Amino acid sequence: MSETALIDRRWIARDAERASTARFLLWLFPWVCLLLLGIYAAGLCFYYGLNQTNMDNRFAFGMWIFLDLSIIAMGAGAFFTGFLVYILKQTDLKPVLNTAVVVGLTCYSGAVAVLMVDVGQPLRAWFTFWYPNTHSMLTEVTFCISCYLLVLILEYIPVLVQNRQLRRVPSFLVFEHQAHKLVPVLAGVGAFLSFFHQGSLGGLYGVLRGRPFAYRQGFAIWPSTFFLFILSAIAVGPSFLMLVVAAAEKITGQTLVDFRVYRKLGFISGVLLAIYVAAKAIDTYVWLNVTSPRLGFGPWDYYSYWPFSSTFLFAATVPLGLLPAILFIVPRTARHRGLLLLAAALTCCGVLLNRFVMTVQTLALPTLPFDPFLKYIPSWQEVATFGGVLAYGVIVYSLSYRYLPMFEATKGEAKNVSLD
Amino acid sequence: MKFSRRDLLIGTAGVTAGIVFTPVPWKLLGDVSIWSQNWSWIPQPAHGPVETTLSPCTLCAAGCGMRVRMAAGFPVGISGVANHPLTKGALCTLGYAAHQLNWHPARLLRVRHSGRASSWPEAQAAFAAACAEGPIAVMDGRPGRAASVALETFAAKHNGSYQTVPGPETQALAPYAAWSGVPASTLGYDLENARTIVSFGAPLLDGWGTPGRFTRLWSARAAGQSDPQLRLIQIEPVLSHTAARAWRWLAVREGTQGALAAALARVLVEEHLVKAQGPLPEMTLEQAAVQAGLPIAEIRDLAHAMVEHGPTVVITSDGDPAVAALNVLLGAVGTPGGIILKSKVIPRHGAASTAPAKFRATVIDASVPWDLIPPAQGEVFRFATWDGGDSKADWLLPSPGFLEELTDIPTAPTSATETYAIATDLLAQPQETQTAAQFLRKIDASLPDVDKSIHARCEQIFQARLGTIYAGQSKPVAQFESAAKLEEQLRKGGVWLSEPPRNATLHCALKIWPAAAATAPAAPTDWTSTWAPPVLPPLAAKLYQESTVREAPARRLA
Amino acid sequence: MSARYGMVIDLDRCTGCGACMIACASENNVPPAAPRATWRTGITPMLVHTLSNGKEGVDRREAFIPIACMQCEHETPCVSVCPQQAVELDKSTGIVMQMPQRCLGCRYCMTACPYHARYFNWWDPQWPPGMEHSLNPGVSVRMRGVVEKCNMCHARYHDALQKAAAAGKKKIDLADYVPACVEACPTGAIAFGNLADPNDPVTMAAKSPDAFRLLESIGTEPKIHYKTTQAWIRALADRNSGRPTEAQHV
Repeated sequence: MSETALIDRRWIARDAERASTARFLLWLFPWVCLLLLGIYAAGLCFYYGLNQTNMDNRFAFGMWIFLDLSIIAMGAGAFFTGFLVYILKQTDLKPVLNTAVVVGLTCYSGAVAVLMVDVGQPLRAWFTFWYPNTHSMLTEVTFCISCYLLVLILEYIPVLVQNRQLRRVPSFLVFEHQAHKLVPVLAGVGAFLSFFHQGSLGGLYGVLRGRPFAYRQGFAIWPSTFFLFILSAIAVGPSFLMLVVAAAEKITGQTLVDFRVYRKLGFISGVLLAIYVAAKAIDTYVWLNVTSPRLGFGPWDYYSYWPFSSTFLFAATVPLGLLPAILFIVPRTARHRGLLLLAAALTCCGVLLNRFVMTVQTLALPTLPFDPFLKYIPSWQEVATFGGVLAYGVIVYSLSYRYLPMFEATKGEAKNVSLD
Repeated sequence: MKFSRRDLLIGTAGVTAGIVFTPVPWKLLGDVSIWSQNWSWIPQPAHGPVETTLSPCTLCAAGCGMRVRMAAGFPVGISGVANHPLTKGALCTLGYAAHQLNWHPARLLRVRHSGRASSWPEAQAAFAAACAEGPIAVMDGRPGRAASVALETFAAKHNGSYQTVPGPETQALAPYAAWSGVPASTLGYDLENARTIVSFGAPLLDGWGTPGRFTRLWSARAAGQSDPQLRLIQIEPVLSHTAARAWRWLAVREGTQGALAAALARVLVEEHLVKAQGPLPEMTLEQAAVQAGLPIAEIRDLAHAMVEHGPTVVITSDGDPAVAALNVLLGAVGTPGGIILKSKVIPRHGAASTAPAKFRATVIDASVPWDLIPPAQGEVFRFATWDGGDSKADWLLPSPGFLEELTDIPTAPTSATETYAIATDLLAQPQETQTAAQFLRKIDASLPDVDKSIHARCEQIFQARLGTIYAGQSKPVAQFESAAKLEEQLRKGGVWLSEPPRNATLHCALKIWPAAAATAPAAPTDWTSTWAPPVLPPLAAKLYQESTVREAPARRLA
Repeated sequence: MSARYGMVIDLDRCTGCGACMIACASENNVPPAAPRATWRTGITPMLVHTLSNGKEGVDRREAFIPIACMQCEHETPCVSVCPQQAVELDKSTGIVMQMPQRCLGCRYCMTACPYHARYFNWWDPQWPPGMEHSLNPGVSVRMRGVVEKCNMCHARYHDALQKAAAAGKKKIDLADYVPACVEACPTGAIAFGNLADPNDPVTMAAKSPDAFRLLESIGTEPKIHYKTTQAWIRALADRNSGRPTEAQHV
């Protein structure tokens, strides 16, 4: 083995089967290129300003906000799995806990990075903390996401220090032991924070009385989209987790978790999805028959513009909502790995569609009586930044999988420290 | 004591945690955001007291009264003068950004000869040589100014020809001038007494004449009224902004206005809607209607609408005699509510001398429209403030810009009364610029200078004892103690208004109904056609690039 | 609220000339259009739209409608959503104030505004060299990445306040406070006044049967009223966003 490969091997756990250094670098290479392209695109936006995107005064939110909402929903698996394992004591989900943390970490840090590019004055980002507006959903989102990112980092560090070389530093080992006690607390805090910001992301749109397409009535200060977003997030979190683990298994060629874990995740996802679909159906009915007409708008204002016909509504509810829920819950279909993963993919698509509809369709639809329906196509800088975040996620997960014990069921138990 | 890696790590962690409790990171954060509010490449407005002064606008012949806000010696805002007797407080659309024009990228500040940089002494030498070699043409786009006296005198004394370039609104009055034998510059529209105005494509609500005059009048007497006191009938192929607000819009095909006028004339006479005064068109009503492409019933309808609420006046955009003749039929020439004669207190120069066939050189004053190419020009000395592009002139000579020149404003072309105003140089004239009059005075110092000509005109007004001076308030001329006091008021941005001439009659000698003019207009017209300078203020892009209320201009440099 | 400054814009008088847009841009130090700017990325705190009855040929009718910040009074959409309180409804004037220095540029307020009256600085402002001398001293120049909108020429209100204070008065004289668009309109289509004063002609005009507001059903209580005697404009305004084949903006 070459010098590099030898050094590399020393960082990998002794009994872990991993690809050769060369193969790993080959795997990383395109993702690194994508990441660099994303960084370059972001750099252009920082240097020249947001005119590098195709967003405009009518589409003030574009692909990036859709991306942010989507990946935060996908990253909900992090808090929810933690909640399930530590609060609800579903310990058979422990094997995927580390994956959930890494997925959550990359999703949230990626979202925050994109947000920094998305705002016009990133140097003023701290103003929200200094002059918070308690009436604004975005304040809540900012606070909770920042805090939760901190929580995720704190949850990741114990995983990080389990690296073969890092755990040779005694203080890290001690830290890891202590942190292990903290984890349930972190899980609880994380669940609390996540609950609120997942909801607030929905609340972002539900409070827009100027956009009858998005506006919903609700409970106290929280519009119904607050609760619907939480429901859809916890429904899609386990699904996304399933897909990530399945992808990891496919790429590494190893079986990483027992099939029962998949089924359990799927079942949880399915039940939540079913509840979500029911809630959404009620909400849609109320919205189209009560809330929206009261503001002077009706379904003809929303679904007469190609391609946003009522097919979207149908698609989000039935093939991408009810169908995967059934596939998850009914034992006959849930037994099949392929169908299970299909259901997971459909669930993810359904949530993506829902986020898309809330962000993009809301802005495309006219509000003023003489306005046209508007189109928006993201610029390459926006797509590249999105690609960069995706690449970042893959790279971090790849590195984590290679160098850290992602799938050890015995999380936190100190292995015999061997002398190397 | 050995300093190990662990110590380093612990030390770093400690410092990081501790620094949060010092003001350092917070101050830095604050500074960073303050920096984001004060980037050096974001321009800052000037500091200094803001003063307001009145001045007439010099960008076109209308000479609208402006209120100019000045700070640190520069104009920072333009608005109308609320009770101004001519403009009623309004300006043209782009006039509100006029104060930015002096820094337009196309501003000329260097003498150019055949595309390369040159200098005033070289230009002077070349012109002096040209003068010695052959006849000179001097072109004036705004005759009747004090500077015009110098231009005309030069041409007379130095083997030259003084040529005027009347603006489109003066040209529109040319037919009546020809038929009544008085100069077009002494005619005007008595809009205030008209009750029906038929506009053949003239953008009456969109920059025509002195823009505020008609917009205010129309607003008071027509807007929002189902049976308006003032009826505006707009006849043009497209639904222009004026047509959109008119009482009636008649869509005609391009180039058929002459035929329509002929048809209308036939109806007016045949149905005894007017007292037949003068010749009739050769075409029959049916022939004319076919050419105009309109049903006869519609034409009859229009003819009735034209006369049932008189006095009626017809206004053309291009002075097409075939349309202007309708005014003769309607009895609108020389009567209240129609084309009237203005008083003449300030004697006009402007009689063009006979032109030789070819000129050794032509001097084109900055007041001449940029796209005008004079015939038989020889070596062209083109004065201009802004470079309108594609100039074929041999010499491009930078002229003073907006508010940088002492000049006077003779009567606006469409005005019903004679007026006079003085625009002082609120800004110092840049050293690199000269007016055509100043240039010619360098050759012949005996030419009357602008100052003296202005004094003379104020003296004439004072002696005539006619009219009022408005400078915030109106005061009759008769109450002024001296011409100097009167001039002082005018130099402060006031305006003199005469009274309409009493017992002024106009006899129109029209023998044959005029033939229709050429079908296509000479140059494409759009909403910028009433804007005189060859460049638009940069803010004009708001109207067509950043919104859809206007279409992109056809020919102007943005 | 001590004053509620608002407007009544007469659509029968508006000729769509754009003088209000130019005067507004000039007063508020709005930069000239960036080369790539369009109607969707420009900064036009006052923006005139063209309305039509959707017909073609001789039956076509057109009108023009100036749109600026409606200064919404009830649960102002943009005030409640700004995460760092860079927007505030000033109780003493009724003007919705925007603070570009605190604006983060998140553009949430822009998604909230149903009137599309908010504009983002997609570019750094740039003037041709020297043209900075023509900037209005009373108004700060914004930088890229912040949102801006009509603030009823608050600098002019400030000047009126100072004038009143110099004369020892607490309340301004409304004749001293005239927004740039009101002053510039050549037909006087824009009437500006204090809606809190029942005797103000603008208040009375706002109550006339010809007067209406855009998107009244949403309940934001805008302070910009419109009026027209033309039924087709009224029908257009009373309808909500409408079907795709109806009156188009572009």
